[in-house]
Amino acid sequence: MIGLSRPVFAAFLAGAWLLLGSAAFAAEDIVIGAVFPLTGNGSQVGLDAKAAIETEAEIINGHHDIPMLLGQGGGLPALGGAHVRLIFADSQNDPQKARAEAERLITQDHVVAIIGSYTSATAVTISQVAERYQIPYMSSDNSSPSLSQRGLQWFFRTSPQDEMFTQAMFDFFKEIGTKTGRPVHSVALIYEDSIFGSDSSRVQKKDAEAAGIKVAADIRYRANSPSLSTEVERLRAADADVLMPSSYTSDAILLLRAMQEIGYHPKALLAQDAGFVQEGFFQAVGSLAEGVMSRSAFALDATRSRPAITPVNALFHARSGKDLNDLTSRELTALQVLADAINRAGTATNEALRKALIATDIKGADTIMPWRGVHFDASGQNTEATPVIQQVIGGHYRTIFPDDVATSEPVWNVGK
Amino acid sequence: MTPALVMQVALGGLLMGLIYALVAAGLSLIFGLMDVVNFAHGELLMLAMYATFFIHRGFGLDPIVQLPIIALLLFGMGVVIYHGLIARALSVRFNRGMVQIFSTFGLAIFLRGAAQFAFGGDFRAINHSWLAGRTLRLATLSLPLPQLAAGLVCLLAFAALMAISRTEFGRALEATREDREAVALIGIDRDRIFALGWGLGCATVGCAGAMLAGFYYVSPDVGANFALIAYVTVALGGFGSLLGALVAGLIIGEVEALTALFLEPSLKQVGMFAIYLAVLLFRPRGLFGTL
Amino acid sequence: MPPSEAGTAIARRRRLELSAGLVLLAALALLGLPIHDVYTQNLLIIALLYAGLAQGWNILGGYCGQVSLGHALYFGIGAYVSTLLFVRLGVPPGLGMFAAGGVAGAAALLVGWPAFRLSGHYYAIATLVVGEIGYLLFLNWDLLGGASGITIPFKAESLIDLQFRTSKLPFFYLTLAYAALAWTLAWLLEGSRLGFVWRAVRDDMVAARSLGVEILPSKLAAAAISGGLTGMGGAIYAQYVGYIDPDSVMTIEISILIALPAVIGGVGTLWGPLLGAAVQVPISELTRSYLGGSGSGVDLMIYGGLIMLVALARPEGLFGLIAGKRRIDAGFS
Repeated sequence: MIGLSRPVFAAFLAGAWLLLGSAAFAAEDIVIGAVFPLTGNGSQVGLDAKAAIETEAEIINGHHDIPMLLGQGGGLPALGGAHVRLIFADSQNDPQKARAEAERLITQDHVVAIIGSYTSATAVTISQVAERYQIPYMSSDNSSPSLSQRGLQWFFRTSPQDEMFTQAMFDFFKEIGTKTGRPVHSVALIYEDSIFGSDSSRVQKKDAEAAGIKVAADIRYRANSPSLSTEVERLRAADADVLMPSSYTSDAILLLRAMQEIGYHPKALLAQDAGFVQEGFFQAVGSLAEGVMSRSAFALDATRSRPAITPVNALFHARSGKDLNDLTSRELTALQVLADAINRAGTATNEALRKALIATDIKGADTIMPWRGVHFDASGQNTEATPVIQQVIGGHYRTIFPDDVATSEPVWNVGK
Repeated sequence: MTPALVMQVALGGLLMGLIYALVAAGLSLIFGLMDVVNFAHGELLMLAMYATFFIHRGFGLDPIVQLPIIALLLFGMGVVIYHGLIARALSVRFNRGMVQIFSTFGLAIFLRGAAQFAFGGDFRAINHSWLAGRTLRLATLSLPLPQLAAGLVCLLAFAALMAISRTEFGRALEATREDREAVALIGIDRDRIFALGWGLGCATVGCAGAMLAGFYYVSPDVGANFALIAYVTVALGGFGSLLGALVAGLIIGEVEALTALFLEPSLKQVGMFAIYLAVLLFRPRGLFGTL
Repeated sequence: MPPSEAGTAIARRRRLELSAGLVLLAALALLGLPIHDVYTQNLLIIALLYAGLAQGWNILGGYCGQVSLGHALYFGIGAYVSTLLFVRLGVPPGLGMFAAGGVAGAAALLVGWPAFRLSGHYYAIATLVVGEIGYLLFLNWDLLGGASGITIPFKAESLIDLQFRTSKLPFFYLTLAYAALAWTLAWLLEGSRLGFVWRAVRDDMVAARSLGVEILPSKLAAAAISGGLTGMGGAIYAQYVGYIDPDSVMTIEISILIALPAVIGGVGTLWGPLLGAAVQVPISELTRSYLGGSGSGVDLMIYGGLIMLVALARPEGLFGLIAGKRRIDAGFS
């Protein structure tokens, strides 16, 4: 130090201290667990979910500078730039295995929260385990209403559930009926025989009754059948205004192909999402999908009101080769909301995290979702998640309802 | 419930029945030959479907044109599986029946995992084949061409198999089934016959896969959708009877369609299974079973 | 060996088996205490559950030679009976599980009575079909929960209700007791008149008939015991997981998983199912947990490959590796 003037030496010391100090305070990773079906039936969705959640982690940890909550990157600011580290586990779509994996993540990997899970059955057991260990379970894409009605304290759901989705569908019917003067008089329900189908159809029947719309057909079918021709014949015989299917990808493909084979073209088709928004479905049915409508929690084309969509989608596409869809966008957002709560909690202890989650109040404009926002009610349900209705126009889903996010005029053939 | 509707559904049931029969034919052959319950039958179907999809994507060959290619491919696969797995399972002295069941079950899981590993979990489908989306309309009836073609291939396959059974090879198959030990005495290499028989069975399910890929989706788990129905078809027809498999397939397909129409679509498989059990009460060896 | 000596040899062997069983039970009971890692505890519980289930299956499939591929029906019936009794009528599962076993056993009798007329493959496929019918019926039966399944709410820590939340240890001892019960039943049956009849029926039907043995009642007894044990296992599973639906308790996959340990370990033997469960459950759990996270399917390939390997390399089961003397041939008639 001979020859260095005192101020320079002081500056040097200060700089060294800051450097060492920040290294000493450099944050440990925040470990978050995710349980999805990564093998077997449903692995297509599970692997997409993995890509989506990894994309969000990359956004949080990296330097992509995206105009949304935690989009500036560099880790979690309130935790010294701590990175989010993900650990994925395979539920194989079995509730007992999902539970074992969730428990393993909590007790061996010490995750601070768990995201899941695609199917309701696995969500039941994962959330039970989470409740036991007092770890938050973030339901990113489970739509069964009963999940948030069990009085659990550690269950949080960012996604809308079936009642909200179906309500949006019937709100849409009301509006379009008034606007065009050609209202819906009858609907035909066709749904697969698992939890998804039974939950969805139950709410649809209830809402149809409340709206004074006749249920012309109520067809529960065997999932993954070799053929759906007979089922489609029954639909044709019912001749309802709107066909409302609740199907996964495999059956959605068969349904549309069978309809074409027998020459049945319903005036309108409004799907309960699921298979109807999957890439595999589009590739398989090609132009048959034109005109198909679906409820959705996400609007890929809402880039004007949600400018973050374009860069986020680009990152997701680079990782998965697909565009964001209704499911992957929700899974991605779930991590974002969780990370935000961890950031606000300032620490990763359970109770602080739970309080931070309860206090969540995010504006829709700060996410990629077309929602009003994210705010959990007492049951852990995000009541600000407002679904949209979309229609395949020109080969892609365009948002047609509600007005404030719509980008296209709907093609409405009912009554023509 | 118009007569036209009933006829359309009944016709669809027959077409589906032919497809079930085609899937089951290979199984019946192998059952009859060596008493093996092949739990990987559905996975072999799945592999044939994937092969058809990829060859179509790579070379633009229509599934119908691919039939001989897929048949040959699956024939080879069958011979390999026989020598690699089945021959060992058969040479076992104890618990032969169960070893076959569970070793082929292990094979099924392995093949599913391998398919996911190699091809990913996404659904694939061929949607630009020659017959895709075309339907033959006769009066009020609609006959989708891909399914119709599959039905025709089924009938041809059965005809071919029955013709083969009249050849020397076919007689050797029959003899080996009747008495495994004695055939060595008349110079029939049992191992070779079994391998060829297994290959033939796999070639048949290969044809089914190629035709199915023309109108059905492909995924690592798709085999399960057809496997159980195939087992029931073979058992209903009677193990070892090709004609039985054909007739049983038609019955199963028809019952499934009519149950879906008149009762509840979600119970259509219960309908076909119930018929199967009912027949078993009166004919414990199936309709035409000789074993 | 003159008959009197043979009899003594058998009696001695059976005493040895019983002692070995008691020692193993004591060892496992002590083993449970120091283990606190929840994942390992879960592994042990599932392994013990499957040991009991496989032993139950073995009574019909191994000793009696009737290969049932539809045992998930009884597992599911047991799970549903116990759960419905608890959730709808407040019957504690500590008692309900015996009712579950009873109903499942009765179901097995109903299925067995016409099914035992069928031979070999026909019987196997028939059980497969009956199992699938059961699955489809439960899936569509909204009164019993249908596809939505039934959630078992946790009321309070209770022995008679079989509800334990603070620790997995009680479940460990419960499944240990279950496996011990299954094993003991098998041991008793082996030395009983029924066991003798089964061996005669399985190994030489002509000889059995000529002894004036009634084949059907003995098979029905095997079915009832086997179904009953399986049903009890289903009830225990339901309480352990806290949620059941047809997809998790009545599918073909479950039927195979119930039978698999017996085949891997050595069908028709006393120790086979235990050995098989001890090998199969860890393999399936560990490959899923530590390899499944990538979603590449490699874990399935390894699991499937191992099953093939064991089934082929040691067709008399792993048990044959250890005790090469006993010959069992449960081939199809």
